[in-house]
Amino acid sequence: MNLRQSLKPGAIGGIVVVYLSAIGMVERFQDRNVITGLVGLGVVLMLTTYAITAYTTARKSDQPLWTGASVGFFAGLLVALVTLGFEGLINAGLDVRGMFVSITPGLLETLEFGLDPAVGALVMVLAATIIGAAAGALPTLSDDLRSAIVYAVTSTLLMSLGEPILRVTLGNLNLPTAWLYELGGLTIPGLILILVVAFGARWWWMSGAEARRESKAHMPEGTRRTWSRTSLFLAIMGLAALPWIVGPFVSDVLGTVGLYVLLGLGLNIVVGYAGLLDLGYVAFFAVGAYAAAIFTSPASFLVTEEGQTFAEAGFTNLWIALPFVVIIAVIIGAAIGAPVLRLRGDYLAIVTLGFGEIIRTLVLSDWLAPYLGGAQGLTRVPAAPPELFDLRNPQHIYYVILIFGLVAAYISYRLVDSRIGRAWAAMREDEDVAEAMGISVVRYKLLAFAMGAGVGSLGGVFFAAKIGSIFPNSFGLQVSINVLAVIILGGIGSIPGVIVGAAALVGLPELLREFGEFRLLIYGAILIAIMIFRPEGLLPNKRRQRELHEGDGPAPLDQTEEAPA
Amino acid sequence: MSHLLELHGVSKRFGGVQAVDSVDFYADPGEIVGVIGPNGAGKTTLFNIVTGFYAPDAGKINFDGHNLVGLKPNQITRVGISRTFQAVRLFAAMTVLENAMVGQHTRTKAGVYGALFNTRNTVSEEQRVHSAAIESLSFFGERLTPRINSLASELAYADRRRLEIARAMATEPQLLLLDEPAAGMNPAEKEGLIELIGRIRDEKGYAIVLIEHDMPVIKGVSDRVVALDYGKKIAEGSYDEVAADPQVIAAYLGKAGSEESA
Amino acid sequence: MADTAPTTQSSRRLRFERIPMRRIILIVLSISIIYGVVAGSTATLRAGVFTAEDWQSLFINGLARGSVYALIAIGYTLVYGILFMINFAHGEVFMAGVYTAYFVAVAFAGNGFLNSNPLLAIAILLLVSMTVSVFIAVVLERLAYRPLRGAPRLVPLITAIGASFFLQYTFRGLYGANVRAYPNIEILDGKWTVFGIQMLKTQGIVIVAAVVLWILLYLFVARTKTGRSMRAVGEDREIASLMGINVDRTIVATFAIGGALAGAAGILYVFLFNQVIFTMGFLPGIKAFTAAVLGGIGSITGAALGGLLLGILEAVGPNLFLTGAEIPSPNQLQPVIAFGVLVLVLIFLPGGFVGASEEKRA
Repeated sequence: MNLRQSLKPGAIGGIVVVYLSAIGMVERFQDRNVITGLVGLGVVLMLTTYAITAYTTARKSDQPLWTGASVGFFAGLLVALVTLGFEGLINAGLDVRGMFVSITPGLLETLEFGLDPAVGALVMVLAATIIGAAAGALPTLSDDLRSAIVYAVTSTLLMSLGEPILRVTLGNLNLPTAWLYELGGLTIPGLILILVVAFGARWWWMSGAEARRESKAHMPEGTRRTWSRTSLFLAIMGLAALPWIVGPFVSDVLGTVGLYVLLGLGLNIVVGYAGLLDLGYVAFFAVGAYAAAIFTSPASFLVTEEGQTFAEAGFTNLWIALPFVVIIAVIIGAAIGAPVLRLRGDYLAIVTLGFGEIIRTLVLSDWLAPYLGGAQGLTRVPAAPPELFDLRNPQHIYYVILIFGLVAAYISYRLVDSRIGRAWAAMREDEDVAEAMGISVVRYKLLAFAMGAGVGSLGGVFFAAKIGSIFPNSFGLQVSINVLAVIILGGIGSIPGVIVGAAALVGLPELLREFGEFRLLIYGAILIAIMIFRPEGLLPNKRRQRELHEGDGPAPLDQTEEAPA
Repeated sequence: MSHLLELHGVSKRFGGVQAVDSVDFYADPGEIVGVIGPNGAGKTTLFNIVTGFYAPDAGKINFDGHNLVGLKPNQITRVGISRTFQAVRLFAAMTVLENAMVGQHTRTKAGVYGALFNTRNTVSEEQRVHSAAIESLSFFGERLTPRINSLASELAYADRRRLEIARAMATEPQLLLLDEPAAGMNPAEKEGLIELIGRIRDEKGYAIVLIEHDMPVIKGVSDRVVALDYGKKIAEGSYDEVAADPQVIAAYLGKAGSEESA
Repeated sequence: MADTAPTTQSSRRLRFERIPMRRIILIVLSISIIYGVVAGSTATLRAGVFTAEDWQSLFINGLARGSVYALIAIGYTLVYGILFMINFAHGEVFMAGVYTAYFVAVAFAGNGFLNSNPLLAIAILLLVSMTVSVFIAVVLERLAYRPLRGAPRLVPLITAIGASFFLQYTFRGLYGANVRAYPNIEILDGKWTVFGIQMLKTQGIVIVAAVVLWILLYLFVARTKTGRSMRAVGEDREIASLMGINVDRTIVATFAIGGALAGAAGILYVFLFNQVIFTMGFLPGIKAFTAAVLGGIGSITGAALGGLLLGILEAVGPNLFLTGAEIPSPNQLQPVIAFGVLVLVLIFLPGGFVGASEEKRA
């Protein structure tokens, strides 16, 4: 009986909803309108759970539409029942408010859809079962149809969540927005419009897919190369034009994203190319930021013979300080790296984490406060001479970060295909054999580490310039983990992946305030999910994908325990 | 007279086990030396010592005028020794060609600068690496060359062994160490291997030392055979001499039926 | 074709490369550190800022926190010994138990049970804490780690990091972001004098409890069937399963035991420090891992000794080494000492103090 396969997923779905409620996500998200007047984000969470539960249940077997729908129906029903059970417990007077701070009357209201409890329960069951049936039927539809439906729904969601950017951008371009957005969510006409347009567009795209694939396969090499070069050029032009389209607020966010792309590219060299798990990357970021501040701030301790700070003596130029900062970072990176790089993966991770924490403790400490500002931090990092760029202007610093990001990307790209890249690839696969082939593993690890340090410090410099003052709290383990999450989500060793990862993990939360307190929770969940389901990331580098799935295939290589240890 | 590779009194102990016990050994260019002995006799350990993965407790190792003791494996490769492994250890996610190209690493020197700015030196060096790798691969006839862009993991077992040897040859060594190259091969493949090793010696002039359990293979290629047991050298000479040596016979017969790890 | 660079050039280069740069740097490093430590200590002692009693109480303090670290460290070392992965989320396993038990404690305090039947109350708290910790540990293994058994080592480590953050913020969502103070248990107030050394009752209890638990665990691993299975699976997973050992169940048992110890450590922790907050697992977790590595990861005795050593270093170190050098607020630099020790130990003794376990490539 196909109903039994709904049991487990349905129960799990129910637990998920209860979990999301208990940690407060549902209630908090509900503040955000998705479709104004209709559903808030909290409700969307629940509805999404119904859909995903039903979809995964039905996907297990190739079934006719009716079967898929009924399986989905029951899965959705189960989720609703579990949730209602939970609600019932609370309503029955189980006062857990003292313990579970998020189980509030507000939560209950959301779960009941703002209606009378009995009516709310009925609505929930209806919603769950209908959505469940629809989602369960989805796998049974033709590929094109299914793709179009999914596309339409996700586009709607993204358009709604993207309201901060899009509304501001449209406003910037002097286009009307009231027809589309209201109070942070989509209007009903807007909703219908997007659904129809997205569905239609995707449908049309899918129907042309076969033809496009044909022509792509038959395209001569020269044309193909021109195609990719042109698209790259257009993309860069697009990126360059962005700040003027989206306005200062979003440009600021883009600048932060760019910063993480830069950091991500740097860490990518360490983790992605050389295979060294570095959990203390924030250390180099901090070095860059503090060094920049020390060189250029009038409040700094560095004085010339006359007793003036460098700044007062006219050395305020961030650009002049830049190469020195990078050199210092590279030296520190080499110094830290040399003794520890020969350690095994997990140990190296913890040691680098330790270094990161040591740096943070030191910059926070009273002991070094005369030099580094202690808990007060360092202020008045000057913007560079206005003739060149006004680094305080988010639109200008965006360009600086963009340029350096492109340079970093170029460097990464060229390294991969070189003798150095080959050496790194060999080391990643089998250090002992690489050594036996003449590669000095120590040297190449050090090279990667030092380069990563340099790039990281660049990020620090621009961070200091962008914000104008630096405080120790910005340099904790969280930054290292953020950067790591960015490159893992995007794909270890993949340059476009870093961009996608940064946009997703850094850009989106900046725009979706409601994510704020749940940010790291979501990061954590993403890390786990990626590692289990798709360790090579979203936009994987082909080779890494192979490396990570080596254990799965039918023709494994003999890698039994071998004497060289 | 001085040999290309010379070991004097090399010893190595692991905890309670004397893995290699005061071994003298030598090899010359154009010579093929077979090393035999029961499991656990210390053969692979000897390889590991020569290639720098273990440091010997005692003894001298000279190669081409250099003292090898204290050198790291990558330095030893640079000096002119390369090897294959008991269990084939290729870079599975890299292509056949790339595996061979890695072998050229010590003979090249392009660095960060060259990689970033595509200097003329770097470009010509990369071309040289490419052709040297192809040349190594082409030594194996039609086995590897048509598959240069396949992944190493996609090759059949015997071809993987060949690739490992090709990769070792790409390092342009003077001495080639082969660790049980015939393991897992069927009789026809073993015949091919005998012929191959002979051809390597004839065309390249390397000194070749191979560890093997398969006696016909040893008999077919070796100019000289060395037998080890419990870390000690117990016999040396032509195949027939060693095979008839009572100590060697006792070592093998005495061990028959019991399981020991290498 | 057997042509290498001219011999003289390569000889020269080799000779240069033979200079043991690394060893020289390490020796210089060690000398400077030893000098710094000795100089700082002598300066402190000579300045006489602290009395003998002060040192004693610092020492006991260190021993007590070290005991807590030791118990958590054993959890790390057990999991490492069997799976060769660092359970980065173990600190959160620790936090979950004791934080949950907090609410029970509050309830008990509310109706006076806490102080009328303190022993029973504490026993219940221990039970609750250990149960929750075990639950979290087991769920963690089942959902996050088991799917990744064969993966390259980087993968489970990153998963563990993700799990750590996930758990931290889950509990933030559940219990709130505020610091909570554990209700006072009157019976634990006051001091004892043992062999002429004065200590807080709590400190004494913590130390004794930790020792007892350690002994129990040691016997368990050495004598029981499960313990033997754990060691077997750690040695060679395939052979162990061929011998009929249920590998999955053994692994679950390992996590459970580690979790139980962490839960107990949690209660001991609040005896000493009285506070809980959702981030409380991070630093003790890192320190416990440091302790496990110090002692030689994979060794239970090592983990315990490493924990004690780290605790003492932490309590005594800043004051001893740094006060003499006139460094203000030396206790701020505690993490530097803890991590500094870790880094130094790993540089000089990759296998830890008590000795490395077999290094196997999983």
